[in-house]
Amino acid sequence: MSSRGGKQKKGNVTSEQEEEEQPLQAVLVADSFNRRFFPISKDQPRALLPLGNVAMIDYTLEFLTSTGVQETFVFCCWMSNKIKDHLLKSKWCRPTSPNVVHIITSDLYRSLGDVLRDVDAKNLVRNDFILVYGDVVSNIDVSQALQEHRHRRKVDKNISVMTMVFKESSPGHKSRCEEDDVIVAMDSKSKRFSMGTDEFEIRHDLLDCHISICSPQVAELFTDNFDYQTRNDFVRGILVNEEILGNQIHLYVTQDGYGARVSNLQMYDSVSSDMVRRWVYPLTPEANFTDQQGQGCTHSRHNVYRGAEVSLGHGSQMEENVLIGRDTSIGANCHISNSVIGNNCTIGDNVVLDRAHMWNNVHISSNVEIHQSVVCDGAVVKEAVRLNKQCVLAYNVVIGPNLSLPEGTVVSMHHPEEEEEDDDDEFLSDDQEVGHSKDKTRQKAFNPAEVGPEGKGYIWKASMNDTEDEELAQCLWGLVLNPDPESDSESEASEESQDRTFQLEVLGTLQRGLEENIVCDNLVLEINSLKYAYNITLKEVMQILTRVVLEYPFQQQGTQLTTLQYTGSLLPLLKTWSPVFKNYIKRAQDHLDCLSAVEELFLEQDTHQTAMVKVLMKMYQLEILEEEAILKWFSTGATNDKSRQLRKNQGLQKFIQWLKEAEDESSEEGE
Amino acid sequence: MGTSILLVNKPVDVLQKKMELQAVLMAAGGGSRMMDLTYNTRKPLLPVGNKPLIWYPINLLERVGFEEVIVITTKEVQKMISTDPKMKLDVKMKLDIVCIQEDAHMGTADALRHIQQKIKTDILVVSCDLITDAALHEVVDLFRAHNATLSMLMSKAHEFTETVPGQKGKKKTGEQRDFVGVDGTGKRLLFMANEADLDKGLVIRKSNMRKHPRMHIKTGLVDAHLYCLKKSVVDFLADNRSVSSIRGELVPYIVRKQFSKSMTSPNVNDEADQKLKKKDGNANVEIKILSRDEALLQLTRERSCWNDHRGDMSEAYHGGRLRCYVHIMDEGMCYRVNMLAAYIEANRLAPKLFDEPAVHPSAAISVRCLIGADSIIGASCQISDKASIKRSMIGASTTVREKVKVTNSIIMHGVTIEEGCNIQGSVICSNTVIGRGADIKYCLVGSAQRIEPEGEHTTAYYCLTLPSHTQVPLTSTLSGNSRVAKIQ
Repeated sequence: MSSRGGKQKKGNVTSEQEEEEQPLQAVLVADSFNRRFFPISKDQPRALLPLGNVAMIDYTLEFLTSTGVQETFVFCCWMSNKIKDHLLKSKWCRPTSPNVVHIITSDLYRSLGDVLRDVDAKNLVRNDFILVYGDVVSNIDVSQALQEHRHRRKVDKNISVMTMVFKESSPGHKSRCEEDDVIVAMDSKSKRFSMGTDEFEIRHDLLDCHISICSPQVAELFTDNFDYQTRNDFVRGILVNEEILGNQIHLYVTQDGYGARVSNLQMYDSVSSDMVRRWVYPLTPEANFTDQQGQGCTHSRHNVYRGAEVSLGHGSQMEENVLIGRDTSIGANCHISNSVIGNNCTIGDNVVLDRAHMWNNVHISSNVEIHQSVVCDGAVVKEAVRLNKQCVLAYNVVIGPNLSLPEGTVVSMHHPEEEEEDDDDEFLSDDQEVGHSKDKTRQKAFNPAEVGPEGKGYIWKASMNDTEDEELAQCLWGLVLNPDPESDSESEASEESQDRTFQLEVLGTLQRGLEENIVCDNLVLEINSLKYAYNITLKEVMQILTRVVLEYPFQQQGTQLTTLQYTGSLLPLLKTWSPVFKNYIKRAQDHLDCLSAVEELFLEQDTHQTAMVKVLMKMYQLEILEEEAILKWFSTGATNDKSRQLRKNQGLQKFIQWLKEAEDESSEEGE
Repeated sequence: MGTSILLVNKPVDVLQKKMELQAVLMAAGGGSRMMDLTYNTRKPLLPVGNKPLIWYPINLLERVGFEEVIVITTKEVQKMISTDPKMKLDVKMKLDIVCIQEDAHMGTADALRHIQQKIKTDILVVSCDLITDAALHEVVDLFRAHNATLSMLMSKAHEFTETVPGQKGKKKTGEQRDFVGVDGTGKRLLFMANEADLDKGLVIRKSNMRKHPRMHIKTGLVDAHLYCLKKSVVDFLADNRSVSSIRGELVPYIVRKQFSKSMTSPNVNDEADQKLKKKDGNANVEIKILSRDEALLQLTRERSCWNDHRGDMSEAYHGGRLRCYVHIMDEGMCYRVNMLAAYIEANRLAPKLFDEPAVHPSAAISVRCLIGADSIIGASCQISDKASIKRSMIGASTTVREKVKVTNSIIMHGVTIEEGCNIQGSVICSNTVIGRGADIKYCLVGSAQRIEPEGEHTTAYYCLTLPSHTQVPLTSTLSGNSRVAKIQ
């Protein structure tokens, strides 16, 4: 850039022409830098996992090549040897390939940031480049986006550093990743990420394709800010510092095309089924774009694809959206729908497969049922096994016979504990180490209850200890979010919960007061401070207090108390806490409020209504309640049938009678 | 589309045919944001283009075919309306004037509650300080088409270009921005928040985003304070006494309620209603605000393939029964005369709204004076020789003597301007006498003042009593070596 500035006008023109002629470059990150696909990715890097019987990295490379990328740098870290081998064998490394692939491996990459810093250090990119992950499946034509990006950079001198490609898809769409649920604020006119202007748009209908067009500055910025780990860090950093540094990020929104990143198994499932349903055209299973021998298959209606030498038993049905690899044999009376079956698989009789993803060399015995599960290379499923939803059988696992795996079971040849052992070097792909630990795990016996009598494998449990990278869960299938709870988190709702927490706090306070023998004055102090903390009115405090105290016996001894037991335990409590009550019940209105709280509670606990009169009596004796208030409450407080019913209680009637007489007497005495 | 919004079958007899909308005009506000002007003249009666301010909304309603309007106002204003010859002359529609006490601090919602008995249908609420040439039918059509609970009018905010008397330089209006969220069509009102309430940034609920994935957030809009409201909203107000202002509380509440759970549950049948009622009184009140779609309408919607959104499979409006719409004017004029700057701007533009002769026939105007085409002269004015009046409004019964120059100013009724005065960019309130040769620039002169002769005044306020909130101190900036004007 600096050299260009010094040149004369003529030189400028030629350099621009040179720029145009420079080949389009891409940076492909063939590592996810997380463990979402463990234990599957323990044996095979994610980029090489087959999707529609083709390794995922091939889709990415095909996408890049079709958009005109001429030079791709593939960065690998985890199991880099395998990726390298795969690529060297593939068509990308043939001399005729229009896209020159350079493979760069290092064990030291731990994030996207490291990769881009290396790009900068090695000075690999000379111009705008496409940044993409090795697990992106897409057919979006980004040339338009590229053009816009270049135009923007020409118009206002390198202000725009990145153009992110988004696809329109409404919320809840299958190919949207639940964990990657982006909400974007953009300037609708300039297509810029922004919130500052007078008018902007908040969009929730965009799907992040994880394809970005970056300026060379991006790599430099990653070097300058060594704390940037992910692209999100970068985007956030740019937006926060926009006013200072003047860098901007733009979006490119496309309506058609397909783009998704396989970031968890849920996404794997949906992308795979989209692939079979031909949404990623022209990347379809029968296209054999990897140009490998024997990968070809035929496409017939209902999206049924068959590879070479597939044999299908009598009475077997391939309903729809089925892809079967070469040399696979299927027994009789099978029912297969929405599934992908790899090469060299054998499937027995009476097998039901629905949304199953079976990779290569899998053996399925008869009478097996598989629903929405992944079965990796070399796995064996014995007779009469049932895999419920979201099961995963990792490499070489044997299951069965006669077993039903519960939903979400993950079985692997790796013992879960071994992961913790090599926790320190999680990203080191040291084959030796893996082999070593395999030896160790072999000593541990398989549990037949988990994997069946002839089974081989361990139930894999995702370790929850790496919370440091703020991953929500390390679950293979991704978060299963309940369809929007549509929380009515309006103020009322939150207030209600506040009341609830306040009630719990009061209960706790009283409980502690009883246990530690705290003086009532201090209890009052504590409740008062709670009142301020939760912003509760005095009236509510009193009602909640009454409720807590009256429910206390139930709280402590369960709800099955008889009325006698209830009053037995409650009355002493009332005596203990009477100073607390007296503190809150002072005015006439307070008395009535307290009484209505009592009434409300006993209306709920209608089996204990007889206890009510005892409670009232006690409260009267303790001088918590005044007789006038009780009489007034009795005569006027009835508002509905139930409370009228309550007042017909004999004991209560007597009590009131007695009160009235007592009042008369006292008034007589007064005279 | 003409200006008439009421359908062809205009209600000839209110009793026989059901009216569609009742108009309510809120004219009880004191004009607290321009106390200097409203100290002596109530806001509804402030002259704008030589007509009282209240004439404009009434005219707006009249133009579209309303025949009756409920005017909520104070006793004082009522008296003035009944005596003001101008009002009687021009207004054909029936004014049903309801007085409220001035010192009761009633908000607009309180006022609606006050007249609840009179309200039989859905209502159209207009504020008395609205001057607009908006096509009202746009707002009403939204209200009709979507069976909305609320539809309102907004407009792009205007930059006030005129220099405001008493203010030096451009003063930023201290108002906080409103954030208004509308959907892709720009009609459905999804979100509303004021900058003042946003302490942690914009909070938008995700369930809301899910239903309306594209939300345009707009700032720089002014609310015209013109609302179509369902009758049920008035009933809701009657039950919910805590709400006192339409703009401040009711509208945000309804907008928010669009997406709360109890409102959207697809078909709350009567059983559920009962349950809610039992649960607490509050829910009971909430339910009332719901406008239950009529059975026929419901059926139509079920049978038709029409939908208000795309992207998911849920029914129209996502089953929500509370809907708010907004019509945002792209062009045209829309002013709320609630500030001095707006008042001046409105005065400049209002005459364009109606075509009447700029000079009232009863005005006595000397032949040898200069009156610009953009000026208005009120009734019974006297304008003497060699006076020059440009871009100004001269109120009724005002006397302008020889060699007076008036530019860019508003002179209210009954003002006397003695010889040789030069008045520029100022507002002179009623019954003031301006002494000979006074030079007044960018000043606001209160009513019944006497400005001494030969004074030279720039950017000052002259009022009888100083409003407590005035920023510019009294007689603060008299320029040069002039004598200080005597304030009576």
